[in-house]
Amino acid sequence: MQDDLELIKRLQNKDDSALSAIYDRYSGALYGVILRICKNEETAQDILQETFLKIWQKSHQYDPVKGKFFTWSYRIARNLTLNSLRIPTKLIQNEDISVYKDIEVNEPELDIVPLNGSLKTLDPHHQKALELIYFNGLTHREAHQEMDVPLGTFKSYVRQALKKLRETYQKQLVLLWILIERMI
Amino acid sequence: MDSHRKDDMIDRKSIKEKGILEQYLLGELLDDEQAQVDKILREDKKLFQYYTEIEEGFEKLAFENAIDPPVSIKESVLNAIRPITSDKKEKMIYSDHSNKRFIYWSIAASLAILFMLSSGWLYDQWQSSKNKLQIVQNETLNLRNRIEILEKDLKETNAWYTKINHPNTLKLVLRGNEISPNSTAITYINHKTETVLLHSEGLQKLARNKTYQMWADVDGEMIDMGVIPAEQQMIAMKYIANAASINITIEPAGGSDHPTVERLISNVLL
Repeated sequence: MQDDLELIKRLQNKDDSALSAIYDRYSGALYGVILRICKNEETAQDILQETFLKIWQKSHQYDPVKGKFFTWSYRIARNLTLNSLRIPTKLIQNEDISVYKDIEVNEPELDIVPLNGSLKTLDPHHQKALELIYFNGLTHREAHQEMDVPLGTFKSYVRQALKKLRETYQKQLVLLWILIERMI
Repeated sequence: MDSHRKDDMIDRKSIKEKGILEQYLLGELLDDEQAQVDKILREDKKLFQYYTEIEEGFEKLAFENAIDPPVSIKESVLNAIRPITSDKKEKMIYSDHSNKRFIYWSIAASLAILFMLSSGWLYDQWQSSKNKLQIVQNETLNLRNRIEILEKDLKETNAWYTKINHPNTLKLVLRGNEISPNSTAITYINHKTETVLLHSEGLQKLARNKTYQMWADVDGEMIDMGVIPAEQQMIAMKYIANAASINITIEPAGGSDHPTVERLISNVLL
C-alpha cells in the first residue's frame, strides 16, 4: 500500500479530518495486532485509542525517509501494548482489591481470531516465526526460545518466510493481472 | 551490551543475513543501533528498497489479519483530540477577543484624550469668550453712556439751536476791550420769549478766584444777569427787560452785587 504523503502532511499540520481518514485506513490492521498481543478486547480498545492519540501527538516525529507510515504506527501500537502488559494496574495497593486484581489477571485469555491470508500459505514453522514476532509482540530472542531453535536459525525462518510471502504476493499480482486482462 | 547483542553488531554487508532489518522494523534495536541502521538505509538506496519490501510484507500481513474495532473507538479518539483543537480555537477566540478588547480600549483611550484636549481647548475658548464678552459689555455700557451723553448734548444743542435760530432772536457779539483784547462772547436775545443765551467759549481763561459776570444796563443801573460759569460753553442768562446794553465784567469768584466797572471787558448796545 502506498503511503498518502499528502494525508500525512495534513495530519502533521494537526488537521483532525486527516486523523479521521488515517484511522479509517489503519485502525483495523493495528487493532488486529494489538488484540493479538494483549488478548483482551477491552484493553485492546483502550490501547487502540491511545495509539491514535499518540499518532496525533507525535505525527511531527514521523519521517517518510525512514520508512512507511504503517511501520511507524505499528511500532507505537506494539510498544503501547507491550508496556500495558508489563505494568498491570500498578496503582492499586489495597489488599482486598489486589485479590480482585488477581482474579482479573487470571481471567482466561481471549481465543483470538486465527491468522489467515497469505500467512496460511507458509510452512508452519515460518508461520509461527512471523506470528510470534509480529502478532504476539515477542522479540527475536524471546521468540527463538519459544520455538526452541537457535537465534540464527530463527532469523533465517523469518527471512525465508518474508521471502515466500513476497513470492506469494507476486504470484497473486500476476494472477490478478491475468484476471484483469481477461476481463478486458 | 550482552554477548548475543554483539552477534547483532551492525555490519553494512551482513545486515540482510543477520535479520537486523526485521528487528529494526519491529523496534527491537537499541537507540544507537537504530540510529546506525537509519544512517545505513539513508546511504544505501538498494538496501532501503529491500527494507521497503520487508515493510510491505509485514504491512500486508497486518492488513490481511485486520480486525474491525468497535465504531465507538473512533468517536472517542476524535473527541479526545477535539478539545485540543477547540481549545486552540477558544484561545484564538480569546486572543481575538483580547485583540478586540485592546482595540476598544485604544479607541476609548483615544476618545478620552480627544475629549480631554477638546475640553481644555473649549474651556480656554470659553474663558477667552467670557473675557471678550465682559469687554464688549463694558464697551456697550460705555457706548450707551456716551450715547446718553450725546443724546443729552444733542437735545441741549437742539434746544440751543432752536432758540438761536428763532426768527426773533438777536445775535450780538461782545468783543473784548484792551483789558482782554482776545476775548469774544456771543449772546442771543429774544425779547419775545424773554430769553438770553450766552456762548462764552471765546472768553479768555481766568484765575481760579475770578469769574466773568454779565450785567444789563437799565436806565444807567447795572442789573445782574448772572455769573458766567467757566466750564460751560452755552448758558442761559437772566432776561432783563428794557436793557440798553449788555456788559461783562471780571469779578471775584462767586460774583458781585455791583459790577466792578474798572474790570469791564466788553459791552454791546441793544
